[in-house]
Amino acid sequence: MAYLYLLPVLLPVLAGILIGIVKPLRKGNQTAWLSVAALAVSLGGVICVACMGLPRLELFTMTPVLTVALRFDELSGLFSVLSNTAWLLVTVYSAAYEAHDERKYQFYAWLLVSAGAMHGLFCSENLVTMYLFFEMVTLLSMPLILQGCTRESVAAALKYLFYSIAGAFLGLLGIFYIYRVASVTPVFTAGGIALDLTGRENIFLVVVFLTLIGFCTKAGMFPMHGWLPTAHAVAPAPVSALLSGVITKAGVYCVIRILYYTVGAEPLRGTWVQYAFLALTLITIFMGSMMAYKEKVWKKRLAYSTVSQVSYVLLGLGLLNPIALIGALLHVVFHSVSKNTISLTAGAVIYDTGRTRVDELRGIGREMPITLWCFTLASVTLIGIPPTSAFLSKWYLAEGALASGTGILTWLAPVILLVSALLTAAYLLPTSVDGFFPGKNMPAVRRRHEDMRMVLPMVIFTAAAVGIGIWVTPLLQYIERITGAVLS
Amino acid sequence: MIFSFTFEGFHLLYAAIAVFMTVLTSLFTFEYLGHEPHKLRYWFFVALTMLAAVGVFLSDNFMTTFICFEVVSLASYPLVAHEETKEALRAGETYLATAIIGGMVALMGLSLLNNTVGTLDFNTLAAACAACADKNALALASGCLLFGFGAKAGMFPLHIWLPEAHPVAPAPASALLSGILTKVGVYGILATTVLVMTENETWGLWILILGTITMLLGAILALLSVNLKRTLACSSVSQIGFILVGVGMMALLGEENTLAIRGTLLHMVNHSLFKLVLFMAAGAVFMNTRTLDLNKLRGFGRGKPFLMFVYLAGAFGIIGIPGFSGYVSKTLLHESIVEYAHVTGSVFCTVIEWLFLLAGGMTVAYMTKLFVVLFIEKTSAKEKKTLRKRWISPLSRIAFGVPALLIPVLGCSTTLMDRAADLGQGFLGGAVTPDVSYFAIGNLKGAGISITLGAIIYFVFVRGFTMKKRPDGKMVYVNRTSAWLSLENSVYRPLLEKVLPAVLGWIATVFDRFPELFFKVCTETGAFVSRVCDRLRTGW
Repeated sequence: MAYLYLLPVLLPVLAGILIGIVKPLRKGNQTAWLSVAALAVSLGGVICVACMGLPRLELFTMTPVLTVALRFDELSGLFSVLSNTAWLLVTVYSAAYEAHDERKYQFYAWLLVSAGAMHGLFCSENLVTMYLFFEMVTLLSMPLILQGCTRESVAAALKYLFYSIAGAFLGLLGIFYIYRVASVTPVFTAGGIALDLTGRENIFLVVVFLTLIGFCTKAGMFPMHGWLPTAHAVAPAPVSALLSGVITKAGVYCVIRILYYTVGAEPLRGTWVQYAFLALTLITIFMGSMMAYKEKVWKKRLAYSTVSQVSYVLLGLGLLNPIALIGALLHVVFHSVSKNTISLTAGAVIYDTGRTRVDELRGIGREMPITLWCFTLASVTLIGIPPTSAFLSKWYLAEGALASGTGILTWLAPVILLVSALLTAAYLLPTSVDGFFPGKNMPAVRRRHEDMRMVLPMVIFTAAAVGIGIWVTPLLQYIERITGAVLS
Repeated sequence: MIFSFTFEGFHLLYAAIAVFMTVLTSLFTFEYLGHEPHKLRYWFFVALTMLAAVGVFLSDNFMTTFICFEVVSLASYPLVAHEETKEALRAGETYLATAIIGGMVALMGLSLLNNTVGTLDFNTLAAACAACADKNALALASGCLLFGFGAKAGMFPLHIWLPEAHPVAPAPASALLSGILTKVGVYGILATTVLVMTENETWGLWILILGTITMLLGAILALLSVNLKRTLACSSVSQIGFILVGVGMMALLGEENTLAIRGTLLHMVNHSLFKLVLFMAAGAVFMNTRTLDLNKLRGFGRGKPFLMFVYLAGAFGIIGIPGFSGYVSKTLLHESIVEYAHVTGSVFCTVIEWLFLLAGGMTVAYMTKLFVVLFIEKTSAKEKKTLRKRWISPLSRIAFGVPALLIPVLGCSTTLMDRAADLGQGFLGGAVTPDVSYFAIGNLKGAGISITLGAIIYFVFVRGFTMKKRPDGKMVYVNRTSAWLSLENSVYRPLLEKVLPAVLGWIATVFDRFPELFFKVCTETGAFVSRVCDRLRTGW
């Protein structure tokens, strides 16, 4: 039965390869619906796996210590259900967005293949497996950024590749070191594995720090955030949504696995690594929001917003206390759903009207009301205004920071969260305000046809973004089980 | 998320007032909005604002208060910006910025409070705060809460949105903004005062000082205004100041604060009622004349006894003429200041008392000014235009008449007022019902002083300073303020729109560009070094 693990990994990959090489499949919009079907089945597979509690599945062994194996725990469940759902909905959206692209079969092929790799990453049992799938995600998602085939998209894709590989190598350094100092074969264990650190505490801290920076490249943390605004701006809207909403979370996932399942919180608590890491996340939170506020190109603005928001999650991870960790995991979900909504709505507006700058969007609410309503509600969520969901995660993050006992950061972190929330409001709300209240002198505009394939995913994401805030208890209990296991 | 509500006393009273006001303004809205576009949007957000405001007033837990408070903040934005004129959009911007900044700061305060005492529940909060040793954290948290709720209440120096937003909103919405929205903020301040900063003198002093400034500033702005609804909006600021003085007294008087509690509560209720009446009256004027400029709507009320009755009920109420409900609450507030002055014997309190009376005098002056404009002065025939067949519909007459009748009824039957005040004591505290003889000579004296001061201010300041003779010999109202005098235009907007984005934006840009600059410098240096090496080798 453990082979069920392979369904969500292999099915999208096979479907992707099929779409990539079988020409008759490329007629009309078949590719889109084939992809949707494959992802729906694989989402079903993920849910089955999550419910069944399967044993580990060893895929192959490189050396007696280096095995590639899959295992599903609660953290995997959270990330993989989130990622598969997002992928499925974004693919439905793409059916409309990519409808007139000649090379859409390539797009779907890479989309499916990277979905499989993502699932593999989230089910990995040890560091080597994680590294393997992490690199696969990087390489397989790169062509998605290339989809535009313009000079800028090639440059952006190369930049993405450069940053990601550099980050992954820093991560690899840590993996090597941890295999060397581990007392047992390192397998992810809640709360960390036994490490033999006597006499090498200092070098250990340096290595952990570099590893964290490495994996945070994917999460867009300063100083390795440079790829994100570039890549988002040129990628097609569905890809921007996935990059912001899910692929950055791959970095977050790796950081959780390193911090809480390998190294453990105790060796790091109160060390310079914790402080430096927190300082970097705070810089990123502020810098991202401020750059987003200054940026006038819509997609770039959203990219900087992602830079800022994903670092909220990293902040929560770095505080090493249960409340902040709950906040971080909640924010993974909430940022993902709200940022997916926002990226998709922006994509729909750009697709329909061709307007790419935020100052061109006056009166857009009259033209595309459903789209702008989704955007507005998701914006309110992202700012963290109750009763929407992200309010809760930010509340937990602030409470966690106040209770963390990290000196000056105890109060600096909430202050920066506050400033960033205000900036978030300042860069998101004017779009809604101008869109819905264009002013008396605005000429009457025709309401545009909003494609159902685009509207449906947006509405589902919006409902999730707002609704989870009100019925949060099941999710909260699930996340408390994770945090309870890793931080006692 | 656990919502927790209570239905006792004060909570229920104010929730009922919120519903009452919304219903009455809605009756007027049918006529006021008539055939204008976007009616659906207006109704939807009025309903949402009311529901959330009821949620705030019924809340039994700071988290519930805050969640509903935020919904009120956002849901009332479309009401402010409804007309979509340039001024309305600008006022909406100011309102939204104040609301969001205030909301987030309040959230910080709550976060800190929860972290310090571990509960936000009204039933346990007071005891937890009294037992808490970390008074600094409590003070900081309360300061944040005061900032957030004060911004909504219209407290100085965060009152800026109020004189902008009230005039541009549709009149029924202005009445709601003034009557309910500001009270949502006051509710938060009250809860903080009663539960967190229980009987804390420093806190009381702060609120007293800010309240006094708000009270005077609002009244001065109202005197200077040449716009009907703006005058009423500034009057709201001033009346919120009166309420805040009462809140300050509540904290300062400690155990003996019953008078202050009752005065504060009744003045809240009264102010909601007055502004409901007055803003709707202003709405009727605007609906018929399409202008709010005092010079253009002169004499509109002549020959309209119903309008005069409605206006006078509101005006006498807000001035505090004996026999109208405002007199009762102002007397209680005045008494509480006198009591504190008596207990402490400080000069400071006597000063506050006189400022209180002075602000009352200014209230008299600006309400007289509006009365003269509407009902006494005449407009020349060519400026007069009639747009409508009848100036008001029967349905709107009901909406105007009911609250206008309530004011003298409440004012004459002080037992009814006492009952209302009793309701508040469960939440706000206070000992036994005091026996106040409202119509004793000592109490009537306060009203008398205010009215005398008001007459002087009206003839000297209003007629002397804010009016000017035109070449044709006619007196007109002139705007004696200039744009730079407003705190918003000279401080907040430049700071938030120019200075902070420039400075912080520069810092962020440095961080954003730094890594790539660093890579570039490294690669350039590497290339340079290898070129030098090459050169050296070939040369060598």
